[in-house]
Amino acid sequence: MKKLKVAILGSGNIGTDLLYKVLRSSRLECSLFVGRNLSSKGMSRALSLGISVSDKGIQAIQDNPECCHIVFDCTSAMSHKIHSPILAGLGIIVIDLTPAKLGPFCIPAINLDACLGDVNVNMITCGGQASIPLAYVIGQTQQQVDYIEVVSTIASKSAGPATRLNLDEYIETTEKGVKMFSGCGKAKAILNLNPAEPCIDMQTTVYATVPKIDLPALKEGIAIMVEKIQRYVPSYNLIIPPTYENNRVIMSVRVKGMGDFLPSYAGNLDIINCAAIAVAEEFAMARIEGRQ
Amino acid sequence: MKKVIISDATLRDGSHALFHKLTKEHIVAYALAADAAGIPIVEVGHGNGLGASSLQVGLSLLDDREMLETARKHLSRSRLGIHVIPGFATINNDLRFAFDYGVDVVRVASHCTEADITERHISYTREQGKEAYGVLMMSHMANKEVLLDEALKMQAYGAEAVIIMDSAGAYLPHDVQDRVGHLAANLKVPVGFHAHNNLGMGIANSVAAVEAGARIIDGASRGFGAGAGNAQLEVMVAVFARLGIETGIDLYRALDAADIVEREIMETTPYISSVSLVSGLSGVFSGFARHVNLAAKEYDVDARDIFFELGARKVVGGQEDKIVEVAMELQQKIKRG
Amino acid sequence: MDNHLREMITADCQEVVGPSPEALDKLRNRQVFVTGGTGFVGTWIAELVIFLNDHHNFGTSLILLARDIDAFRIKTPHLAERKEIRLLSSDVRNIIDLPADVNYIIHAAATPDNRQHMSTPLAVMETITRGTATLLDAAATLQSLSAILNISSGQIYGRQCCATPTITEDAVGSLPCNTITSVYPEAKRYAETLCSAYWSCCKLPIVTARPFAFIGPYQSLDKPWAINNFIRDALTDNDIRIISNGMPVRSYMYPSDMAYWLLRMLVDGASGQAYNLGSPYGITLRDVAEKVKAYANTTAEVVIKQMHPDNSVFVPDNGLVSSTLGLEIKVPIDETLKRSLRWFRGAFRR
Repeated sequence: MKKLKVAILGSGNIGTDLLYKVLRSSRLECSLFVGRNLSSKGMSRALSLGISVSDKGIQAIQDNPECCHIVFDCTSAMSHKIHSPILAGLGIIVIDLTPAKLGPFCIPAINLDACLGDVNVNMITCGGQASIPLAYVIGQTQQQVDYIEVVSTIASKSAGPATRLNLDEYIETTEKGVKMFSGCGKAKAILNLNPAEPCIDMQTTVYATVPKIDLPALKEGIAIMVEKIQRYVPSYNLIIPPTYENNRVIMSVRVKGMGDFLPSYAGNLDIINCAAIAVAEEFAMARIEGRQ
Repeated sequence: MKKVIISDATLRDGSHALFHKLTKEHIVAYALAADAAGIPIVEVGHGNGLGASSLQVGLSLLDDREMLETARKHLSRSRLGIHVIPGFATINNDLRFAFDYGVDVVRVASHCTEADITERHISYTREQGKEAYGVLMMSHMANKEVLLDEALKMQAYGAEAVIIMDSAGAYLPHDVQDRVGHLAANLKVPVGFHAHNNLGMGIANSVAAVEAGARIIDGASRGFGAGAGNAQLEVMVAVFARLGIETGIDLYRALDAADIVEREIMETTPYISSVSLVSGLSGVFSGFARHVNLAAKEYDVDARDIFFELGARKVVGGQEDKIVEVAMELQQKIKRG
Repeated sequence: MDNHLREMITADCQEVVGPSPEALDKLRNRQVFVTGGTGFVGTWIAELVIFLNDHHNFGTSLILLARDIDAFRIKTPHLAERKEIRLLSSDVRNIIDLPADVNYIIHAAATPDNRQHMSTPLAVMETITRGTATLLDAAATLQSLSAILNISSGQIYGRQCCATPTITEDAVGSLPCNTITSVYPEAKRYAETLCSAYWSCCKLPIVTARPFAFIGPYQSLDKPWAINNFIRDALTDNDIRIISNGMPVRSYMYPSDMAYWLLRMLVDGASGQAYNLGSPYGITLRDVAEKVKAYANTTAEVVIKQMHPDNSVFVPDNGLVSSTLGLEIKVPIDETLKRSLRWFRGAFRR
């Protein structure tokens, strides 16, 4: 099968992990891995894997716009705001893994098809990729939902300096995504860092206040949703099935990373990257089938 | 004469004991009494602090604004304090408005190894010209070297004191002396200590902290707080007076305040229940007690087993969802025999 | 920026340059490359250079290198729009070549904000160590380079073995290397040694400046430093709080003095030499706070909490800069504080 060319912009943990996932994909091919510094850890990895690299940042893509159809932007929100119009001008689709929030939010298990027409797709947050699909099912299956709350706990080691400095943005973006997809006007997101050794896997719990609970419909909807997500995040597992207790609905999932670049405790990094790959692969399919 | 600032956690840590159902009347009655006693700092809010009202850790009866507004109206001498955990509270959603309600002291807290998540909240507080303290929770889970490293970060961010919390009530006096002493010797800002009474050490540990150099001590009237309760504030005032440590608090008025808490606010006087003792032994956050009891009942398992299992998994404050998971697993185990 | 604030800065430059701009004649028609070019130091260098160009026809051009040049464009359009100032967006660690016609380099890329030293210690250390090496490698191939000024830090003096009223350039202090608080000074020490190595083996003309404390225009009041907090709290009528006994002795240099000294060290400093950059006039924190309160005309009180006895002294000796470069402080502490308050009041209004 002919593979679609993608470039990865940003050679940090997210970008490097994505590279491994692209290499595994039967529909994608990494034609360029772009950073700012040839001696960085990510760049050395890419070089050792025989990937074409550049240290010229966005300029590398401007110099050779034919090199790819899709760019994964794994830099920062500030940089993405500069990259976005440039890439749009070049007619290149961007899958945005920064918290810049310029494009529409995408959860592959919910609105993958709808995102295909967009040139800039935003992957929200790691906790959002884990929790929003569950919140969406609550919204779809229940008549009235008063409140939804999503709590993620991640291993300390999987949260780098940028994540730590931007906890507020993480919370506010995740809350926005939960409200948007569930249709519930009141939502709260909480993030815990747990330093236990050995590192814990990412765990996300979703609570809801539902006055007239339809548990069978919820259970059925969640089972279907989990299966959908598992197609692109194989280690997404329901560990507390939808349960009604103490006047609240509770359910919990655990995400183990694939251990591509960071060890398996970094399920948070894995889930957002897996989702981004799912979007890119769908673009690839659409192109092959002539849908786009 | 040694001077110590007593920071009063009654209307914040006590919220755990009421499952966060503090009423306006509670706040009015206690704030007036604490103010009359001359307690320097009175904390008010949800047990897990600003923006923490949630299904995960418990919904507050009153929202943050109502609590702060009520407390502010009835405090004139005492300064109004709040507890803030980044990850629960954001600057935009929560902290910004707290200053409109006249908060004086913001205690920005993180798990004891995660101080760098407090940078923005501490900086923001200082930018408002208000006092910021750093708080390291569950401090028994880190050794003194790690605690100092984290405390130095908070100091650099602008914290004007660093308080270590024995959130699980797991310390014995020599543990406190070891950690507080190390911090006091190496920080430029004062060190504080926050005790829980799970092993019956609330007062003894507070005394050990002062002897090791702590200048800020948290207490709660009648010990009203999570789990087995906190260091009992009025006892602390009396004991410190005996030791020649000045608190500036009027003992009789402090006793009156404690009587008000007992008569008008608390459901049961804090005591070291079997479950609380196990919580201290297993090093699990005292605030989990009510959740653990509920889950034990719901899933028909032993609350003590839940605590020990949570301890083995090294859960931290804010991970209350783990309680249900562990309870379900224990139930499955029993079913399978 | 308000006109009166700009006029104030022009007057500040006038004052330090004085009637004899000849001392800086070596900069005429030369090109100066500044890393960290849009920060506090870079901005002041730019102000002084445009003053020399406008009032003394120096014809000096500047290249300011920084990661975020857009912020500079918004903050100081009057500098960003100048013809003789070129802005380059890059991380100092990623420099490959320097423009061939660069004559002077001022290496000011490193944040002194200790919050960042704590939260991103690895990036801070790497920017200082690898950034300096990358810059010097690129500088080594320049054909018409006259001098490089490496901006180090007064913090490299570390703990002094005995109490001295002021610190001379040959003082040898110690730094405990197993604590997070040493990240910045230790990296700065390494960068100085790196400069010595390049000076020795590549014969690069490197001068080092060791800055102490400054206060004045273009500083940010949200920095976690005592005097910045005093001014911010005074301007917002909040009490000025001192946690210690108020007795630590520090000194504060006004930034026009700083910029002038830096340019003089750049053109006249002896290669291989390190110079203190700061005011030699010590003052206790208590006195600084009282002066800020008086000049700010605030209702706030100075509250000394007595939580921590601290009689430390951190003040540079200026014997060497005075005897070899003839540099003296032109803006005394009271004037420094008054002008700072004027500036920050104006900046607050904006």
